[in-house]
Amino acid sequence: VRVMKQHKPPLAVVVAGRVYRPDAVDASHSFMFHQIEGLLVDEKVQFSELKGLLTEFCKRFFGPGVVMRFRPHFFPFTEPSAEVDINASILGIQKKQWLEILGCGMVNPKVFQAVGYPKGQYQGLAFGLGWEGWPILNKAIMNIGFFLEMEGGFLNNF
Amino acid sequence: MAGLEIEAIENVGKGPVFEIEITPNRPDALSMLGLAREIGAITDRQVKFPKIKNIKTKALKNLVHIENKADCGRYIATLIKQVTIKPSPVEMMEKLSSMGLKPINNAVDITNFVLMETGQPLHAFDFDKLEGGRIEVRRARSGESIVTLDGVQRKLDPSILVIADAQKPVAIAGIMGGLGTEISTSTKNILLESAFFDMGLIRQACRTLGLRSDSSYRFERQVNIKGVETGANRATDLLLQLTQGQIAGRQEVSANIKTRFETVKVRLSDISSFLGGDVPLMRVKGWLTRLGFKVKAKGDILTVNAPDNRSDIHQDVDIIEEVSRMMGFDKLPVKLPIIKAVNIPVDKRPRQIKDKIRQILIAGGMDEIITLSMTNTKALQKSQMGDVQALRIFNPLTQDQELMRPGLLPSMLQVTLTNMNRGQKDLKLFEIGKRYFINGEKETLGLLLTGRRTRDWRYPSKDVVDIFDLKGLLEGFFKALGRSPVYKSVALPIFDPACSAEIDVNNVIMGTVGKIDHTVLNNWDLKGGDIYFAEVFLDKVYALPPQEQRYQPLCGFPAIVRDVSLAVKKEVAYQDIEKLCLSKGEGLLKSVHFIEQYLGNKIQPGYKGLVFSCQYQKIDRTLREEEVAKVHDQILQTLTAELKAILR
Repeated sequence: VRVMKQHKPPLAVVVAGRVYRPDAVDASHSFMFHQIEGLLVDEKVQFSELKGLLTEFCKRFFGPGVVMRFRPHFFPFTEPSAEVDINASILGIQKKQWLEILGCGMVNPKVFQAVGYPKGQYQGLAFGLGWEGWPILNKAIMNIGFFLEMEGGFLNNF
Repeated sequence: MAGLEIEAIENVGKGPVFEIEITPNRPDALSMLGLAREIGAITDRQVKFPKIKNIKTKALKNLVHIENKADCGRYIATLIKQVTIKPSPVEMMEKLSSMGLKPINNAVDITNFVLMETGQPLHAFDFDKLEGGRIEVRRARSGESIVTLDGVQRKLDPSILVIADAQKPVAIAGIMGGLGTEISTSTKNILLESAFFDMGLIRQACRTLGLRSDSSYRFERQVNIKGVETGANRATDLLLQLTQGQIAGRQEVSANIKTRFETVKVRLSDISSFLGGDVPLMRVKGWLTRLGFKVKAKGDILTVNAPDNRSDIHQDVDIIEEVSRMMGFDKLPVKLPIIKAVNIPVDKRPRQIKDKIRQILIAGGMDEIITLSMTNTKALQKSQMGDVQALRIFNPLTQDQELMRPGLLPSMLQVTLTNMNRGQKDLKLFEIGKRYFINGEKETLGLLLTGRRTRDWRYPSKDVVDIFDLKGLLEGFFKALGRSPVYKSVALPIFDPACSAEIDVNNVIMGTVGKIDHTVLNNWDLKGGDIYFAEVFLDKVYALPPQEQRYQPLCGFPAIVRDVSLAVKKEVAYQDIEKLCLSKGEGLLKSVHFIEQYLGNKIQPGYKGLVFSCQYQKIDRTLREEEVAKVHDQILQTLTAELKAILR
């Protein structure tokens, strides 16, 4: 929001940082973690471009053989909204399952209205991921709490 | 793959039970019929709705009164007399159990059943227990309280909406009924409530009371106001059948609630271009119609009316989402965007500096850690930081996280403790994190060393780290920035007074370094060895003007080296000795190199022995012995005179 208020589109921004949530703490939820989010704003942005961007990212990050899918979901600030799953097989996991890695969508026009952009002039795509979640998803790391304890054995992995 | 995700399928009794994640924008799906409509739309099948009789009965007056229609937009009270309360039929009990709901008696079960079936929350009151034979929908008054169905007494206040009889509250509107008017086997007459309450009010009350229910869940997300009547009719019909009661009449009070469901106009070409693929009109009409929308197409423009249960439809993108999810995202092409964005100028220097720091520290054998941004009063006190002002969090999750940390020490000590408790006593940790103050957040580097210097088997295991290991790491990255820090002995509460200093560059305090005071170690119950800690204020580091590093040409002429061995009082800093030598070097002294420090019994108490070498060299000629000897003697004399050094 700050970037949109301080700068004029076209914008292509990636931001990483700490986030805090009043979530109940369990093996995969914590009150402090880190997110990486991206935003692309221009006069014309298409959903197929959102697909393209994230597909390319997954291919480069996981390998060209990654099998992924876009699933309709809901976020208040994007419309349509989706979640991206990758098939666990790319990570060497035998069980056939889908792992949720990203949330994304086309920026809801109400967000543009809120930052003062003229109605209907801009479109955008947005995506986000919580990176502590990724190693937890493939069960490599069993508990998000390890990220806060910082024990020697855990640190040796990095 | 059209939106609602099935989380689990369980086989219970007669068949599978699906656990479905309903996103917050789809309150219409919080019922069997809502889901049936959705599934019917997706699979293009007709839904067989249960036949609900339109109940025609005497219109009653004075049964229900609403204090403020803004709080309660619609209330239908149905009076059913001469009921027989007994267990529900087996089929109904089984259906409720499969949902995780406990069957109680036929009347209560019907209210739960219709809630789950239609999404309309209902409540049944024992009519004879209502004082004055009527109810009022009003705000609670200060001092009022109620014992809810779960047996808990709850204090009420005017922010909470209640259903009250002539004397007192008998239910917390939209959330839970009162114990006093619950339906029991002795109930003879029932007042059935079906209503629409303001979603904000219900949500607020849930938070205030810390109480939630299946009913409140639906009110919070907005119930369909038209469904109030459907729900009332369905429940009335079932009650008449199962309790063998007689309907005595009904009163409806409603406000003129404007439906929020505007007509949405959207261009077909916009749908196609937004999604990035061609979407034919016939299919769009087909999908939207199946979902219950009314579509009128005139040229490129579609005028769409949402069904009354879809409160989430407001603008053209909402229609586009409906189309895209029915189509299936996988049907859309994949295309890379062409990014025309101009680079927003971002100062890259902080990131470059941080990368350099990480490189140097990791090469130095350290591990990077990330710790919590929050801390608490006790942790600060244990670390002897009790006097440091910390920002208080208004509504902390736990007492442990009541403050935003003003320093990295407490959390790094916590990590140290965790590790020591698990048998890891050799630690070299650093963190690049933030300290939080009322005037902003400051990026900070924290370093912590303790335990063995190395695990290398060739080195004695009792060789533990000391302050010079930490100093060495600090020198390392300041050198990479082209700076030589100076250390000023300053007493700081976290450090042992004999080993506590400020790090200075050009008279700006860059950080602090020292040995953690043993009181702090005791407070934290840290049973390992000494702990050395430093904090570097990165905001000050970023502010240093970039130092151009110039190539130093090799000198072609030989150097003359003179070693110096002396003893000085322990308080005299080596850096001052070095500074003094260089200032008296008269251009001949190129550099001074520290060799060693010793504190053996050959040195008098209160003193330390130092050995260093002076390197004399000129870039343009060979130096003569005599001129070097002259300058060197002068230096030695100055050291004796000004620093009271004793030459050895």
